[in-house]
Amino acid sequence: MIANSFEYSSPATLAEALGLIADGAKPLSGGMSLIPMMKLRLASPEHLVDLARLPELNYIREEHGELHIGAAATHHDVENAPLTRGKCPLLAETAAHIGDIQVRNRGTIGGSVAHADPAADYPAALQALEAKIVLRSASGERTVSTADFFIDTFTTALEPGEIVVEVIVPVEPGLTGTSYQKCLQPASGFAIVGVAARVRRDGDNFGPVQIGITGLTGTSYRATAVENALTGKPATEETIRAAAAHAADGVDANSDLHASAEYRASLAVSYTARAIRSALSRSA
Amino acid sequence: MKIAGTAKLPFTPERAYALMQDPLILAKAIPGCDALDKTGDDEYRLKMKMVLASLSGSFEGKVRLTAPDPPNSFRMLVEGSGKIGFMKGEGLIKITAAPDAGVDITYEGDAQIGGTMAAVGNRMIDMTARMLIKRFFEKLASEPA
Amino acid sequence: MPVSSIVKLEKLVGKRLRRREDPRLITGTATYVEDVKLPNLHHAVIVRSPHGAANIRSIDISKAQALPGVLAVYIGKDIVGVGTVPCGADLPGLRRPAHHILAQDRVYLVGHPVAVVVATDRYIAADGADLVEVDYDVLQAVTDPEKALAPGAPSVHPEWPDNIAFTFHQNGGDIDAAFAEAEVVVKQRITSQRLVPNAMETRGVVADWKSNDRSLTLHTSTQIPHLARTLLAGMLGIEENRFRLIAPEVGGGFGSKLNVYAEEALMGWISMQLGLPVKWIESRRENFMVTIHGRGHVDYLEIAAKRDGTILGLKLKLIQDLGAYHQLLTPAIPTLSVLMMPGLYNFRNIQAEIIGTFTNCVPTDAYRGAGRPEATHGIERMVDILAAELNMDPAEIRFKNFVRPEQFPFPTATGLNYDSGDYANTFQKALDTIDYQGLRTQQAEARAAGRFMGIGISTYGEICAMGPSVATPAGGWESATVKFEPSGKVTVLTGTSPHGQGQETTFAQLTADELGVPIDDIVVLHGDTSIVQYGIGTFGSRNTAVGGAALFYALQDMKEKVKKFGAAMLKTDEVIFEDGHCLDPKTGASVTVQQIAGAAYRGIVIPKGMDPGLVVTKFWEPPNFTYPFGAHIIVSEVDPETGQIEIKRYVAVDDIGNQLNPLLVDGQLHGGAAQGLGQALWEQGVYDDNGQLVTGEFMDYTMPRARMMPWIESSHTCTPSPVNPLGVKGVGEAGTIGSTPAMVNSVVDALSPLGVRHIDMPMTPEKIWKIVNGSKA
Repeated sequence: MIANSFEYSSPATLAEALGLIADGAKPLSGGMSLIPMMKLRLASPEHLVDLARLPELNYIREEHGELHIGAAATHHDVENAPLTRGKCPLLAETAAHIGDIQVRNRGTIGGSVAHADPAADYPAALQALEAKIVLRSASGERTVSTADFFIDTFTTALEPGEIVVEVIVPVEPGLTGTSYQKCLQPASGFAIVGVAARVRRDGDNFGPVQIGITGLTGTSYRATAVENALTGKPATEETIRAAAAHAADGVDANSDLHASAEYRASLAVSYTARAIRSALSRSA
Repeated sequence: MKIAGTAKLPFTPERAYALMQDPLILAKAIPGCDALDKTGDDEYRLKMKMVLASLSGSFEGKVRLTAPDPPNSFRMLVEGSGKIGFMKGEGLIKITAAPDAGVDITYEGDAQIGGTMAAVGNRMIDMTARMLIKRFFEKLASEPA
Repeated sequence: MPVSSIVKLEKLVGKRLRRREDPRLITGTATYVEDVKLPNLHHAVIVRSPHGAANIRSIDISKAQALPGVLAVYIGKDIVGVGTVPCGADLPGLRRPAHHILAQDRVYLVGHPVAVVVATDRYIAADGADLVEVDYDVLQAVTDPEKALAPGAPSVHPEWPDNIAFTFHQNGGDIDAAFAEAEVVVKQRITSQRLVPNAMETRGVVADWKSNDRSLTLHTSTQIPHLARTLLAGMLGIEENRFRLIAPEVGGGFGSKLNVYAEEALMGWISMQLGLPVKWIESRRENFMVTIHGRGHVDYLEIAAKRDGTILGLKLKLIQDLGAYHQLLTPAIPTLSVLMMPGLYNFRNIQAEIIGTFTNCVPTDAYRGAGRPEATHGIERMVDILAAELNMDPAEIRFKNFVRPEQFPFPTATGLNYDSGDYANTFQKALDTIDYQGLRTQQAEARAAGRFMGIGISTYGEICAMGPSVATPAGGWESATVKFEPSGKVTVLTGTSPHGQGQETTFAQLTADELGVPIDDIVVLHGDTSIVQYGIGTFGSRNTAVGGAALFYALQDMKEKVKKFGAAMLKTDEVIFEDGHCLDPKTGASVTVQQIAGAAYRGIVIPKGMDPGLVVTKFWEPPNFTYPFGAHIIVSEVDPETGQIEIKRYVAVDDIGNQLNPLLVDGQLHGGAAQGLGQALWEQGVYDDNGQLVTGEFMDYTMPRARMMPWIESSHTCTPSPVNPLGVKGVGEAGTIGSTPAMVNSVVDALSPLGVRHIDMPMTPEKIWKIVNGSKA
């Protein structure tokens, strides 16, 4: 449990950090996944650049009907900030489910998103929220959609030298109900499956619905088959059950010690129904 | 651990088979492969560096191609070990002409993982293996027909 | 002589006093092995096998040796003159593999120590360990005990191809007659999975050899400082009186530190080689891999009974997964299971066969409960299965078979002698507390509504206060010294080695009451062989029932001594000792114990036939074990859609005899229940077929968390033990023993409408989901 020796830099500015990363340093942003790997010597980066201490990346603010969350905002910040709680409750609720309190105090949204753990909680919410992810390198900045950002197991749209600097989520319209429902892997606290739902009503019917699912397969995804089976249909338990049954459609489910592919897929259906039910009850 | 799955390649069975017997092509397609040097009739020395999320490690081992039945099937063994652990995978790869175009590949075999990797990465092993296999076939598919 | 006014001190035994240990523990100021810093301290890191079975072709240490800061690298062949790791248990025909402290030419399990690197700091030592290159010829491993027994299985030790370490029979009564008389026989295979003890503090050793006076000081995280010293002195070939072993603060053990480990001898040997102090701290990964595991049973059980529910006899084939070696008590643990197999029941016929089986896994050994949880789980499951077979209520069948109060002392089929109890009374209290009849009505309603509600009963008995010396490999007595310092302050030295149990508090309570001194004037010391008289240590729920009894007798001797000094000082023949004073009943004159202590050391008044000073040491041999018992009832509900289990209520009524400190009793029961529920629901040490421990850290090994615990409605009955003067029985393991079968019985009961009779542990949601969905299909 002793890491190989490494160099550690805590630059004062983002520009400086990006310069070091361009030269091959590895970004550290909370270290909740990287540090344990280093202690086991499963990872041995030679140079770490600490992004979590950059004031430039540590903010949550509202601009033009959107919330801008700096990459260094901790899960605790996202869980508790009045802005996220009040204006994007789905993200705050999701953050509250991450790991344990120690992890939430140190882990950052940028670190989690960039790491792209297939069982991480945030991606489900970001998929449902159709969040935008802002990437920057020494040579420039670009914004990608959540759908384009998460590619596969631990694989994202990040290019070498590029880091996540910001996550942009919509200010939730008042009538939308949202919910994150998670089946916890009790040892690690990761999601066996996690389902984020956003539900609008249209009279007695479902209006537009977004469902994001994490944990089930190599990367998070939008459950469009479920969404399509809800929108325009009566907001009843029967509709919910029928729609949720499509949660794992066309998905190659993961299998591990804690849940076989078959069981995971079944849980995805159950938790999708729970998330829709809960979001519906919170919608107006 | 059982490993099984399917892939599609845009080739004739003969071309698909030949590609998977060509060490230069394999070296390009095996994720993280640094070198694949012939050491015997059907055996190659493998050097690879696996980088996945925060995990990274170098492996040395071998690749063996056995039970040739061109262009229908062969067996492939990949084994490697390094500081972070060791792995060994062995299986049968079948090639059949697809009804529409190209070929369907089906693979079925066993994989063993050991060392630190095995003890701490349980939840990642299955999906990682599947992703590496997927990358392998994607890379193969990008070869000229 | 002045007459002092006598202030009555409040009696403290039985009070819910907070532990005096806690402030230092929760403020990070306690001294654990890792906190021991010595001048010129060097650090060792061990190179371990990544394979479950392999021959070692070669080891190249040259790169490690060349690393600046590395002082020495040792491999198996370098270790000369050190004994093998001892096993204190003996059984007829027991096969004992030579357990070298570093691998010789073969490794037998993942984590097997192969080389050790000593360096100026721990980081360099770890880098050096990475540079040791071992060439292995990997062999087929076998990790499942039943597979190990199958013909053609790989051999763990080539010299014993059948993988059988021993076969042991424990029989009582007439089993053939019992089965001939039987009107019904039920059979079940029941497993008790491997568990990782996971003490909060991993193991660690600091060894400090001083060549000038040929003395070794070894700081090690152990439950048995004196026994460890004796055994390690033997391994290292040094004299016990030049060997000081210190167990500093020990952060939990649960049996995993009731042992002597290779690393303890290895560090001693390295320090002797180099003439330098050396430290080794076990990483959490190592703790999972190479510190003993618990349980590891496969039991084939059969019960013979009459149609009215009367149990006639029990047959058991017990396959014990021993692992690759014997640690200190490895082969003895399953024999404890058989001893307790009759549980609380009045039947006299038993036939048991234990097959101790080698596997390429870390050895199993004592883990909280050590044999009794397996036994209790087995018998309590079987009683429920029998009740189901006979369509009887599980409470009714238990009442029918309990040993009755008038039968004590009760000789069991396995040769034990239960000391005291009223099992039906305790069980009835649990049933009343939870409103058992009301629950069954609720359950019927729930079932009618398609819900899966379960009521699980476990009535357990356990064997504590290890134990009479005839039944304990290294002696089963305990020791205590009580010293008045000249100032009147009191120092207690206990031969037990508490590591979380709180005896610094409870023994001070007892001492305060007996001697009439303020509790703050009392210090309880333990764990240092150069300070404390020889003792046996802490395990088997023995601290209070044996160590506390030894202290009680020492205190009585001390009171007698104090009275003689008091009488001499008061110039009278007879005094009354009360509330810290000696009082002459004739004159009303009195002296305090503090005054007496001062006088005894100044030697001014020495009673006839006595020596100066006020010190008493007592070694006490218990006449029997003690047998606590209790009833745990768990109400649960299963979600058929996800397989998740919710604990609705948990009622525990435990009879542990008298209690010195009910707050600490609660703590022991809660912690024990957490570990017992851990086995029932979450924990499992899983090896794959190649010998890899795949639940090798906390990301995959599910330790119970506070948020996963139910509220435990705990109460007691009290039948004081006649075995010791305190009337205590022991509570260290009770919670672990009672909880597990209650939980499993509850879930089996919930799913019984689906025809479920048994579920193996841990009852993971997926397992339950498969049962529910399988039965639907």
